[in-house]
Amino acid sequence: MKTLSLKKIPVSLGIAILMAFLISIPFFASDYWITLLVLIFIFTVYASGWNLFSGLTGYTNFGLAWFIGVSGYISSLLISDYGFFWLYAWPIGAILTSIASIGVGYILLRIKGVYFAISMVALTEGTRELFGTEYLAPITHGGQGVPFVAGIKLPTLYWAILLLAFLSLLICYKIISSKFGLRLLAIREDEQAAETLGIHTTRDKIIAFMISAFLVGLAGSIHFTYQNYIDPSFAFSIHLTLTPIVMTLFGGIGTVFGPFIGATLFTLIHEILWAELTLLYMAIFGGILMVLILFFPQGLLGWMKEKGVLPRIRKI
Amino acid sequence: MTNFIEILIRGLMLGSVYALVGMGLTLVWGVVGIVNIAHGEFVMLGAYFAFWAFSLLHLNPLLSVVLSIPVFFFAGVMIHRRITERLVKEHELSALILTFGMSILIWNLAQFFWTNTFRSVSYLTGSFPFIGMVFAKSKTVSFGLALVITAALFLFLRYSKWGKAIRATSQNSEVALVCGINTMKMRMLTFGMGIGLAGAAGAIISLQWVIFPQMGGSYISKAFAIVVLGGLGNIQGALAGGLIIGILEAMVTQYLSAKMAQIIPSVTILIILLLRPTGLFKK
Amino acid sequence: MTKEPILRIEDVVKKFGEVVALDHCSFDIEPGSMTGLIGPNGAGKTTLFNLITGVLQPDGGHIYLKGEEITRKKPYEIARKGVGRTYQIIRIFPKMTLLENLIVVGKGRKVIERARDLLRLIKLEEKKDDYASDLSFGQQKLLSLAQVLMLDAHLILLDEPAAGINPTLQNELMVLIHQLNEGGKTIIVVEHDMNVILRHCQKVIALNYGQKIAEGSCSEIQKNETLLEHYFGR
Repeated sequence: MKTLSLKKIPVSLGIAILMAFLISIPFFASDYWITLLVLIFIFTVYASGWNLFSGLTGYTNFGLAWFIGVSGYISSLLISDYGFFWLYAWPIGAILTSIASIGVGYILLRIKGVYFAISMVALTEGTRELFGTEYLAPITHGGQGVPFVAGIKLPTLYWAILLLAFLSLLICYKIISSKFGLRLLAIREDEQAAETLGIHTTRDKIIAFMISAFLVGLAGSIHFTYQNYIDPSFAFSIHLTLTPIVMTLFGGIGTVFGPFIGATLFTLIHEILWAELTLLYMAIFGGILMVLILFFPQGLLGWMKEKGVLPRIRKI
Repeated sequence: MTNFIEILIRGLMLGSVYALVGMGLTLVWGVVGIVNIAHGEFVMLGAYFAFWAFSLLHLNPLLSVVLSIPVFFFAGVMIHRRITERLVKEHELSALILTFGMSILIWNLAQFFWTNTFRSVSYLTGSFPFIGMVFAKSKTVSFGLALVITAALFLFLRYSKWGKAIRATSQNSEVALVCGINTMKMRMLTFGMGIGLAGAAGAIISLQWVIFPQMGGSYISKAFAIVVLGGLGNIQGALAGGLIIGILEAMVTQYLSAKMAQIIPSVTILIILLLRPTGLFKK
Repeated sequence: MTKEPILRIEDVVKKFGEVVALDHCSFDIEPGSMTGLIGPNGAGKTTLFNLITGVLQPDGGHIYLKGEEITRKKPYEIARKGVGRTYQIIRIFPKMTLLENLIVVGKGRKVIERARDLLRLIKLEEKKDDYASDLSFGQQKLLSLAQVLMLDAHLILLDEPAAGINPTLQNELMVLIHQLNEGGKTIIVVEHDMNVILRHCQKVIALNYGQKIAEGSCSEIQKNETLLEHYFGR
């Protein structure tokens, strides 16, 4: 029986200190560290957005990149071709994506299990190809991509994504400790039984899907502004779907901080591996994935819960 | 009119190879219950197998096609025994992620060792005329090989003991379990068969097209479309599905553009899953 | 003066491909009654439950709840109208705690309190923070019944509630069900154990091959020769 327990440390104090530290980063850290953190936060939102829907409902969303790409394209095109200010372009992209996700969700969330995962991949691949065709090129610039500048300084972008990451985790926390969150879990456990117990599963699924789409889309818009470039193969790449999933699995699926921990550790590992073993980096990534699934399916936080280091109960 | 028939035949030739890939995937999916995202990578490995055998050992590629079957079968059995069997009872997400990791591992290792340089097997060059149309020798021979392998597969499934057990398991795995059929051994063999088909398809592909480490990607998406079209676990459905995808691709490429043809697998999957999720064909 | 039936099954037909699971089945259930639904395996009992709860849609016929047609309604709608059911193979939410299993069903105010009251009723309050999967089989049955009660169901469909649990627990469970019935809840029980049916139910409906072959009070059914022949063997 372990006596070490993190229950004792007041969590809110810890978070406040951490946030104060993170907010002050642009005042003393170099650009290298700021950009590293920007990436960590972007992927934190991707991962926690994915976790919010898939971690709770059990519907494996293999089309996260669709949210990212659609919102990314809307925002980037608004900035580059229509002169919108980033502060408006980003939320517009995210809101439109989340509205579109209601339709997508309504249609595709009837499909269960692996087939749902596949249909989301198909949607993403199809959209990617579509955005690259000659027919849509007048709007999307086709396969050649859109280089653009949004007129935003790095610290400002950093604070924006830091705020979004904080809000995402807060929203996740609120949902996981609410009755809504419990209903999503019930959907994962046994959707039909949940329905016969009066839970409006379709409505709840779509709401979670929408929230996920909004958060992930918004982070996507910020991501491409940061890159100063967007093209179909990157915007809708399977990599953008898989990486957040792996991060979540690593940190602990269905938990609040799992995605953040996963995003942080993975981005740092990525930096190290990239520097040392550029060529084999992806192969190692694949190998790590396999090891994770085979030996640590519950991720880091899940493993810690099992060992008694963390409390395993949700507080409603 | 001749043009249309030519495209149709071209589509069938294309589809016959896609069918091999699709049948392998549906076999593993339906019987073992695992969605092998790395299936496309084994096609790629099959292609490289034929290529290296040809370049280094001067082995006749047609022989490589035949050889690839036992080689990849064995590899598949080993992989299942050591790795994928563990996930049979788990949530399907686990198998998806595991095989995805395997896919990344394999093609990146291939890229590391063999580089991105396009390779090809120039063995069958030239073409021959047929009722006023012209077909490449490599494609025709490939078509023939694919048909032979498909026929062998069907005969095996129909008449052999294992074949019958496989069909029983894919139709009703619970009953098969009770009858003592659906064992780990059965799953290993089926997985091996699936990989064997992928490897053979890859070897056949090496005769016709260039080879590169990321080529598995396009085959896996077509394979998914084929599995969905044909119905999960339905081998005949996958054969038909493969031919359909091949014909669709040939037609769209001809009448619209090659780029538009890339959308076919995605659109097919979405349409079928929404309108007829069990696939077009009855078991 | 007869009260309006709480449940009316009218000429219901359900086919699965060629197989006719329910063949023009009709009967009424009086409010506050406890009815036993018997018949051999495959007679259509669970299918009937699935149709009533909206999990499946009939191919013909109508189903009325308190006079309102619910034939094509969705499961969650029907549940919210006060219809609860338990499953033959228990379906609680394994990786959620007992308390959560009940809270998730509740609507409106004071959900947590009601959940705790129910856990106290089924004598599992100390285990409120345990995962439902840690419970014994019999305890899970009690939990799923508690979920139905959380729903504030007036019509409760129980699919083999006594199966697979030891006689003591069986008794406890049936006593609880009986109390619920006395409290005004309408209950339909599917059971194979005739003793359970005869001891607790006022009325019995027998199905075979999707058809209703007999309906009546317990004493009537006991004396029915054709029924005994159908049900207990050739």
